[in-house]
Amino acid sequence: MRCRAAQRRLSDELDGTLDPGRRSRLEAHLRVCPACRAYRGGLARLQAEVRPEAGRSAEYWAGFEKRLEARLDGEEAGRRAVERPFAGRRRVAWAVAGLALAAVAAAWFGLLRPRPILIADWPQDEYGLAPLLLEAEADPELGRAVEGEIRASIREIAPAADADAAALAAADPLFWEGLSEEELGAIAAGLERDNGLGGPK
Amino acid sequence: MDERPEDRLVDEARRGGREAFAELVRRHERRVYGVCFRMAGDHAEADDLAQEVFLTAWRAIGSFRRNSSFYTWIYRIAVNTSLTHLKKKRREKARAAFDENAAVPVPVPGAPSSPEGSSALNELKGRVDEAVGSLPAHFRASFALVAGEGLSHRDAARVLGCSENCVAWRMHKARKLLRARLRPFLEEVGS
Repeated sequence: MRCRAAQRRLSDELDGTLDPGRRSRLEAHLRVCPACRAYRGGLARLQAEVRPEAGRSAEYWAGFEKRLEARLDGEEAGRRAVERPFAGRRRVAWAVAGLALAAVAAAWFGLLRPRPILIADWPQDEYGLAPLLLEAEADPELGRAVEGEIRASIREIAPAADADAAALAAADPLFWEGLSEEELGAIAAGLERDNGLGGPK
Repeated sequence: MDERPEDRLVDEARRGGREAFAELVRRHERRVYGVCFRMAGDHAEADDLAQEVFLTAWRAIGSFRRNSSFYTWIYRIAVNTSLTHLKKKRREKARAAFDENAAVPVPVPGAPSSPEGSSALNELKGRVDEAVGSLPAHFRASFALVAGEGLSHRDAARVLGCSENCVAWRMHKARKLLRARLRPFLEEVGS
């Protein structure tokens, strides 16, 4: 064993971690090496000076505990003083926020939310369209009559719409631009055939 | 003397039991102080640090999860608090060195600062404390725990969060440095 390794083992020996095999090799080295024996003596002396507790009196420890108690008291009192008011305020704030949210939700669902318009919700007077349509769904003959009435109403309105369209086309000469006479004729014939409405003349 | 097992005291302290915590303080204050003293090298600083260690422990005991024993945990707080203090002190020392007008003398690690300390320490002990105070911080922490408090390499490794081999190596290096620094005194005493 070399001195360098022996010194490392001496440190382990002092700490009680040296296994028996290494210990015997270390002892063999120490028997023949005065420098390492001196090193061991120095470490042992050093250890003896370090180990004793730093030497404080019983009064010191009593004072230490008393001061610590006072600091813990102060810390707890401070924590209570800081936490309690804020904890109370937080609870109130959460309660107010919850109530406000509930009020908004009630207003939205109860008053402001747009409702789907149902036939059943239409005005229920005896001449209203809703009961008529509901009846027409169940009675095919009535359904055809209602459809005829609706078509007739549309025909009444159509000329006015037609006139508007013609006026629009007249006001916009580019509206038909790019279409040939044949194409225009085909469009007019198609409109007449499908809807009974004439295209531009 | 309070005979309650430490686990029970820890449980009570975790539930806010100040009396149980006070008993834990009584059981560990000397060792915690010893670590702080060997790390700071000064009794006044060690006193402050030990108080801070127990305050930190009280604040954090609710989060103590029993992955380690209480003494490992409190030692870890002591070492970390001391290392943080040393870093701060080093920064202040560096600032003072740059400040030409700094008139306040920087305390020498290991120098006895209280009458109680100076009367209690003989010259060799004072030299040893001073030399320990000059070790690099992590060597000092290992030395304080193993040589100072008698922890095994395994327990010291748990406290320091490193391997047992690392602790053994740091101990060897720390002793070598101390022996080199103190050789005249150790040989004089030993001869």
